[in-house]
Parts: sequence; C-alpha cells; structure tokens
Amino acid sequence: MSAGEVAGSRLARMIARLITQRACLEWAAAEIREIDGPVLELGLGKGRTYDHLRRLLPDREILVFDRFVHAPRDCVPPGGTLVLGELRKTVADATARLAGRVALIHADIGSGDRSADSALGADLAPHLAALPRPGGLVLCDRELALDGFDRVPLPPGAADWCYFIYRTPNSEDH
Amino acid sequence: MLELGLGNGRTYDHLRGLFPDREIFVFDRHVAAHPDCRPDPEHMIEGDFRDTLPAAGARLPAPAAFAHCDIGSGRPETDRAVAAFVGPALDRLLARGAVVVSDQAFELAGWTALDPPSGVEPGRYFMYRAGSA
Repeated sequence: MSAGEVAGSRLARMIARLITQRACLEWAAAEIREIDGPVLELGLGKGRTYDHLRRLLPDREILVFDRFVHAPRDCVPPGGTLVLGELRKTVADATARLAGRVALIHADIGSGDRSADSALGADLAPHLAALPRPGGLVLCDRELALDGFDRVPLPPGAADWCYFIYRTPNSEDH
Repeated sequence: MLELGLGNGRTYDHLRGLFPDREIFVFDRHVAAHPDCRPDPEHMIEGDFRDTLPAAGARLPAPAAFAHCDIGSGRPETDRAVAAFVGPALDRLLARGAVVVSDQAFELAGWTALDPPSGVEPGRYFMYRAGSA
C-alpha cells in the first residue's frame, strides 16, 4: 500500500470485488470459446456482470436468473432469456432442461447474510454440478461443494477478493 | 470535510479511513447507506441540497478544506441543473484553497481545475482548487 491508501473500506472492497469479477469473467469467456452451450447468470442485480458477459460473448445465449429485476433498463435481458423466481426453483427447472449442456455458470449470489448464502449454495450445488458440459466452468462469489469439480486458481488480474472458479471433472476428455 | 451524496456510504467509508481525525459532514436527500457506514446524526444533514447547503454555514465549525460531490443521477439535464446550484452554494462553505473532487463539472469564478491523477479517464471525474484565483 502506498502512502495515503486505506485498505478495507467499503469503497476499496467494492473495487476489489469488481476488478476480480471482471478478471474472472474475461478469463472464463476465453476458456469456453471452444465449448458449446449457453451461459447462465445467477443473480442479475444491477446488471453489471450481465452487461460485461454479453459483450464478451455476443453470440452466446445467456440465461439470467433472479428473483426481481432492479437493473437499469438497458441491462435487462430480452424476453425469454430472463427467468424470474426463487433460484432454488428456477435453477432446478433449468437443470431438467439443460443438464450437461451449459458452458459457463456465473453465480453472484452472496447477500451479506453468510448463513443464508451457504444454505442457498448448498441447495444449488447439485444443480450447478449437473448443468455444465465437460470442460464447463462454474464461477461463484461463494464457496460451493461441487462433487468432483476442480477448484481453479483465480486468473492474473484478479484483485484481493475471494472468488471461486470450478471446472467440471475429466475436462480433458471432452 | 464535506461529502455530498452518501449513497451506499462507500466513499464516505473510504474518506473516514483516510482522514480519521477530521470531521466529515455528509449531505444527502435520504440515508440509505449500510448501517455501519452512516455518520452520526450531528454530521448527517438530510434533505434537498437546495435547502441544506445554504443553511449549512451555520452548522460547520469552520470553512471546509475538502468536498467530495458524488451527485450524478445519470440524467445529464438534471445533473447540470443540480451542479449549477451546488457549485456556488458549496463555494460559500469552503476555505480558501480547499480541494473539490466531483463527478460533475463546475464552472465557478475563482475555482481552478486540477488534473485528476493518472489513470482517471478524461471527463469522468473533476478536481478543483477553490478560491485560488
């Protein structure tokens, strides 16, 4: 830290989070270039990472899941690609349709309530493990127990922020 | 120090970390920040800038050395109108030589534009030294 810097403020943490998200998304977009299938964004929020993903992957179908829409109008996914409702239900429904076919899942599901987050993560984990195709990736702002998946180190450019990248097992066989 | 626009309290949190020994007065229409990023009631001045800024001189113990304005709404016309009011009202609260950092451009006689630090995209953020003309 240089003189005059202050660590740990909400501003500094927000910046670290955004830098890390951008680095992870850009890395993941390059990693899945040769892997077919849609991208799933869990948690639209203000639409920032969705906006980044659609620019990184302009030809890819991006399905977005959230409970409500409170993104700016120009970051709201077009009809048919936005799935509103409780994630436990909507993601389970997606698994029934898309198991083994998804290239990338970005799950930005943290809420500040750690115990609620880990309960949600535990409920979603079986679906997040079933959805990707071989070589597919799961990015999440919370740790997930994805059976057989490998945790991948964060890419260069990530800041001092906790983020989790998982790759499907046996991805070298695809 | 003055913070115009509390929002989520992120920059306020950063400022109080940078300046733990300074009083920071915060202006916003409503308090919507994280509970741990709220100033105490003595330093939180709630209401429309048009009401709170002109009245604030009586409340400040001394002219301010620094002001940060994060007041943009994303609607350029509204923001220009707010900035046209805020600039002169803020000027009356500042010490000679005070620094203003802002998301809106100001054009005030007596304020000198400063170059933002390297890495800031031109036109994104603005810095001034007040009363230096």
